Amino acid sequence: MTPLQPTGGVSARVAEAIVRLRALWLAMTVALIGLSVAQIGGIVPLNADARIFFAQENPDRQALDEFEATFNKNDTMIVAVAPKDGEVFTPETLAAVGELTERAWYLPFVRRVDSITNFQHTYADGDDGLVVRDLVPDPASVTPEEAAEAKAIALDRPELIGTGFLPADGTAATGVQIAFSLPGVDQEVEIPEVVGEYEALRAEIEAAHPGVELRAAGIILTNNQFNVAGQEDGQTLFGPMFLLILLIVGLAIRSILASLAVLLMIILSALAGLGAAGWLGYQLNLITVLSPLYIMTLVVASAVHVLSACRQAMLDTDDRKEWARRTLTDHMGAIVLASVTTALGFLCLNFSISPPFRQLGNIVAVGVLAGMLYTLTLLPALITYLPIRRSTTRPAAQALTGRIAEFVIANSRAVLLGGMACAVALLAGFSQLKLEDDFPRYFDERYAFRQNTDFVEDNLTGVNVLNWPLPAGEPGGVNDPAFLAEVSAFVDWLRAQPEATTVTSLTDTIKRLNMNMHGDDRDFLRLPTEAEAAAQYLLLYELSLGYGMDLTDQVDIQREILRVGVPMARTSTAEMRELSLRAGDWLRENAPIAQAAWEAKYPDVPMITPTGIDYVFSLISYRDVRAMLVGSLVALVGISGLIMLALRDLKIGALSLVPNVAPALMGFGAWGWLVGEVTLAISVVLAATLGVVVDDTVHFLSKYSAARRAGASAEDAVRQAFAKVGMAMIVTTLSLVAGFGILAQSGFAVNGEMAELTAITISIALVADLLIMPALLIRLDKRRPSVSKVAAAAGVLALAVALLVPPGAHAQSAQEKGLAIAQEAKDRDRGWGDFSVEGEMVLRDKGGAESRRVFESLNVERPDPSVGDLAIIVFSRPRDIRGTALLTHANIEPQDDDQWLYLPAVKREKRISSSNRTGKFVSSEFSYEDLTSQEVPDYTYEWLRDEPCPNAPSLTCHVVDSFPRNAASGYSRRTVWLDAQHFRFQQVAFHNRRGALEKTLTFSGYQQYLGRYWRPDLMRMVNHQTGKETDLIWSNYRFRSGLREDDFSAQRLKTFSR
Amino acid sequence: MPSVSRPFRAERTAAALAALLLAAGPASAEGLAPEAYDLFGEIELEGTGFLQSPQFAGQRRDDVSVAGKATFLAEWAGGDAVLRITPFARLDAADDRRTHVDLREAKLDLYRDDWSFRIGIDTVFWAKTEAVHLVDIVAQDDRIEDIDNETRLGQPMLRVGWLSELGELSLFYLPYFRERPTPGRTGRLRLNPPVADARPVYDTGAEEWTPSFAARFAGVAGDVDFGLSAFHGLGREPALFLDPGGALRPFYERITQVGLDLQYTSDATLWKFEGIHRSGQRNLSFVEESYLAATGGVEHTLYGVLDTPGDLGLIAEYAWDQRGEDALTPWQNDLFLGARLALNDVSDTSALILGSVDLGDGAVGVRLEFERRIAPNLSLGLEAQAFLGFDQSAPFDAFADDSYLRVRLTRFFGLK
Repeated sequence: MTPLQPTGGVSARVAEAIVRLRALWLAMTVALIGLSVAQIGGIVPLNADARIFFAQENPDRQALDEFEATFNKNDTMIVAVAPKDGEVFTPETLAAVGELTERAWYLPFVRRVDSITNFQHTYADGDDGLVVRDLVPDPASVTPEEAAEAKAIALDRPELIGTGFLPADGTAATGVQIAFSLPGVDQEVEIPEVVGEYEALRAEIEAAHPGVELRAAGIILTNNQFNVAGQEDGQTLFGPMFLLILLIVGLAIRSILASLAVLLMIILSALAGLGAAGWLGYQLNLITVLSPLYIMTLVVASAVHVLSACRQAMLDTDDRKEWARRTLTDHMGAIVLASVTTALGFLCLNFSISPPFRQLGNIVAVGVLAGMLYTLTLLPALITYLPIRRSTTRPAAQALTGRIAEFVIANSRAVLLGGMACAVALLAGFSQLKLEDDFPRYFDERYAFRQNTDFVEDNLTGVNVLNWPLPAGEPGGVNDPAFLAEVSAFVDWLRAQPEATTVTSLTDTIKRLNMNMHGDDRDFLRLPTEAEAAAQYLLLYELSLGYGMDLTDQVDIQREILRVGVPMARTSTAEMRELSLRAGDWLRENAPIAQAAWEAKYPDVPMITPTGIDYVFSLISYRDVRAMLVGSLVALVGISGLIMLALRDLKIGALSLVPNVAPALMGFGAWGWLVGEVTLAISVVLAATLGVVVDDTVHFLSKYSAARRAGASAEDAVRQAFAKVGMAMIVTTLSLVAGFGILAQSGFAVNGEMAELTAITISIALVADLLIMPALLIRLDKRRPSVSKVAAAAGVLALAVALLVPPGAHAQSAQEKGLAIAQEAKDRDRGWGDFSVEGEMVLRDKGGAESRRVFESLNVERPDPSVGDLAIIVFSRPRDIRGTALLTHANIEPQDDDQWLYLPAVKREKRISSSNRTGKFVSSEFSYEDLTSQEVPDYTYEWLRDEPCPNAPSLTCHVVDSFPRNAASGYSRRTVWLDAQHFRFQQVAFHNRRGALEKTLTFSGYQQYLGRYWRPDLMRMVNHQTGKETDLIWSNYRFRSGLREDDFSAQRLKTFSR
Repeated sequence: MPSVSRPFRAERTAAALAALLLAAGPASAEGLAPEAYDLFGEIELEGTGFLQSPQFAGQRRDDVSVAGKATFLAEWAGGDAVLRITPFARLDAADDRRTHVDLREAKLDLYRDDWSFRIGIDTVFWAKTEAVHLVDIVAQDDRIEDIDNETRLGQPMLRVGWLSELGELSLFYLPYFRERPTPGRTGRLRLNPPVADARPVYDTGAEEWTPSFAARFAGVAGDVDFGLSAFHGLGREPALFLDPGGALRPFYERITQVGLDLQYTSDATLWKFEGIHRSGQRNLSFVEESYLAATGGVEHTLYGVLDTPGDLGLIAEYAWDQRGEDALTPWQNDLFLGARLALNDVSDTSALILGSVDLGDGAVGVRLEFERRIAPNLSLGLEAQAFLGFDQSAPFDAFADDSYLRVRLTRFFGLK
């Protein structure tokens, strides 16, 4: 008996009941089928929107939605016209472009078509007259001379170069940009309709103009691809999957009828999963369309366990009912546990921020649980009813598992050491992992879509645009010359960035119009100085634009927000994030109008942030990896808890963590070495595979545990466990690996990687289960439970998790210098060990009334730069708060510090919240964040200039701006003056969240201690807003007086209260 | 007449203390002079007005009282040996029993790396929650000082503490037992008849010399502060019985209690829990019964309310006792809602309002505390307590007419 059935009789009785009521199960199956298909109609057709990956509550998606509500929605298509002779400006190619431009207007839902032929060429005509005309008025009959003239004009227009119309260099291809206004009523119809008609048009034009080739890209095609690829994945992968399952089951069971029974079961399980999707109101998508394959792969494993046990029973008896009875009695517990843990792992996908994964998790969980039900009821019923042939030959492969058992027993030490070495080597691969979500490249090169997108992005422009909506603060504000100057400077700055080759902005158009209005005088290729002039130019320009063209894709209707767009082509996630951060910093410094308007509009987002579907995708992994860390942890705790409960053995349960957790982490490590770049898929793999890999562990451990309880030695128990389930473990794992191997053939990277990672993980898990786990059991099960071993495993896990968090962005030159100065100041102040000092605070209000507080401050330095220092403040005056002590364990931002307060009146120490950074410290002008230990990583820095120190002009000061990383800070920035000689703080100007100067802190009376460390005698904080000031007078500094880190614990705090 | 509340053999303790001082102090003679010392304390004047006339014969209506305490502090070996002596005394006009003196502290603390030793008299307070303090058990509640269960009598003890990475383990040997003082016949806020403090009944032969033992492991794990405690010895909370002479007499017996207290700190929100299991304690019906009790809740602080520097803490807690109506405490199924305001001004003005609702009988208690420094060494305190609908909740219906308002003026003094 296994420990899963502690009374022994329970399983036997349940098994007996199942066998006796077998007719009932057939009826129940029929009922379940009915239940499954009742709502199944709702799950098709496939949801073809790239945005399914973003939940409504995803803040990045909300920003994108808001942007698209403000500007015209970005349903665009870029058709690259590639002349085979490599020159666009020929009569033939221009004719093709012209025809495409003309006929594209007849595509469904088209709003606007732009190309080089209908490009609005503006120029001056006589005195201040403005002429607007098509660049190529009659494309069908262009002379070579006209083509050359058009080329000369076009190459002079920055709006055309690198913006999708012409390549950044040369004229080898041109783009026709088609904007659509999809009603959005039924995307499953609208998108295929548009794409279908475009394909027809393409065929016609390529036929009529054999010298050109058309390649289209854009969000419409991306969405269409989501639809097409989903269907393709479904169609191409299902067939091989069925064949494979039949093959594996057939080989393992050697019975066609049994294989068919298994096939029936897994189909019914998949149906149940899809049925649940229907009941839950899900619509299938590119991710969930594969859920039936997941379910089938997983359920087949339990079925194989049942049937191979059945085969062993056949050796002893020919009573079919007895086969079923014995199989169930022996394996029911393990199958239930294995299925429940698998379902639990998948249910933990609900922690993902991306809805398709949540749906996948739920569908698969239901399918697996249904599979469990069928395995325990329908399958035994079928065994008794179907004339499955009795096979009395002992399976040959049993010898293999016996040999593995003997090998492990003889070499357990070597196996463990080798396993550990492998684990370390693989885990090092974590450093190679790089999150990379470039969603057009989720589809691999086998798709025409991907080839076309690559062509367009390599030759013309990024298909997806990173957009900065720059607010001017008031309706009509975009005409303000000061604001336009800010935007123009930003555009220039962007153009100087390596990631942004082209930038689109209305400021270019306005400059151009200004020049046109001044007789095409090049000197006037600049912004007008009057708001009225800018407004009039725009009105004039808009009136003269052709049908379907307006400015609403550049500026909102209120004339309040201006868009600056940068097409991103093959930009890595990290590069895009980096650019957006740098741009945010630049805008904060150099665009006060936009920054102030932004802060008024979005008080929670301190930095002007771009948007765009690419950008939203680029953030999703960052967000989801963090969300799923929690999910994976829940899965880990839940599943381990279940195993411990089921095995009723804490020690063996804890041991099982090693073969369960290590494979997933080693899988990631292997991926890091082999591939490096991962998408969103990686975030969910740990939780999903955990439930799968534990199955083998559960089967093995339950048999092992039973043998141990029966009195066998660890070695013999390993032998027995191998004999009973070794074969089934190998077969099921192979079938799972093969199944996921087929899923890995998906051309959609998220699906493919998820399946590949799962297959790798399960393979490693099999090795771990067959070699490492028995070795561990043999070596550890003899002695007392070894806490340190488990702790080591947990340590490895923690290390891996730490490595998963991607490294931060790089800093720039002025930022590097600022950082270097801050770092130098910190470095020079390192190594003081501990010090205590007496402090007196003199609070002075505007009228000069004073009040005082006296305290002692005790500090211990923690050398580890990843944590902050320790500090205790003990008050002695006013006397009513005497003995009140505050302990602070500083942490690196944005993590809150840990703080405890000791109240002597009641002798109570109390952990208090320290999220109150901005609050006044004992009603002084110092806030908590001014006084707590400030660590270098708490801020980002930018060196501004060197100048004489304001409070001591004989010294030279570095002036550095530091920006708090934590949005909860009360400051937008601190400007710090540090003297160049000793890097001592001389003055700090605090700017509040609105950017206004709030307080100034001046340091004086520096003295040097221990021949090295400088400390001030007086710190004066003046609040410019209220007129109040606080002096902080320091005296009696004592360094290295033997304060110990241990004493600065919450429990010892009371001893400092004197 | 002042009377020492239950005299114990102070001379024995003093002798032991002196012996230890000599043994543990620095070897050289001049080393015996403290490196640092201080004397500080406070004197308070208190007036209490009750809103209704007394319920029971003999109770005085209002009360005026003077109290004081002083602490003598001396340190040796750079603070690794600390002597603290804090006597306390109160003179009360209305209730002779409230006129009492106590040695709150008379202890020597020695620290050596991660070890700490204490011998002498001290008070100890273990708590996480705000309204009800279940886990705290070492020192007796000084019930005549205040009814909020936060003042303790000095407890003779020998304590060994060991500090580890995860927290501190403390072991207590408590050789002597302090009986719980309660208001007398003329005092308010008492049961009826008043508890016969002077005639307790012990379940043990050694009576107040019955030793008790306690252990606690308290530490911090990330955002969680936890404490695990165990106690075996004379229960601090007496069961009460009416003797044939009609006196309500306290009954002290051996109990065993284990307790768990937790606090999870999440940004501005503190989640708190205290739970105990106690066996060997007789309940209100004087039947011995093992029971569980728990209390927990949440404290959320709003910083900078209404654009002032002030903080407003919102408190919601619930207390439960398995014994239900048989519990010795009124807090068996009660909900507490309250707010704590700290103005964070120059005068450290603070206020607390805490309401309790007995979800069983609907009795409502409201407590209001206010404190403000009015001069550099002078503090003004207000305390108001209302008992609403207590008439039905026996035996605490004795408090039904005892709603009061108390004003306290405290003067602080010190050598330095």
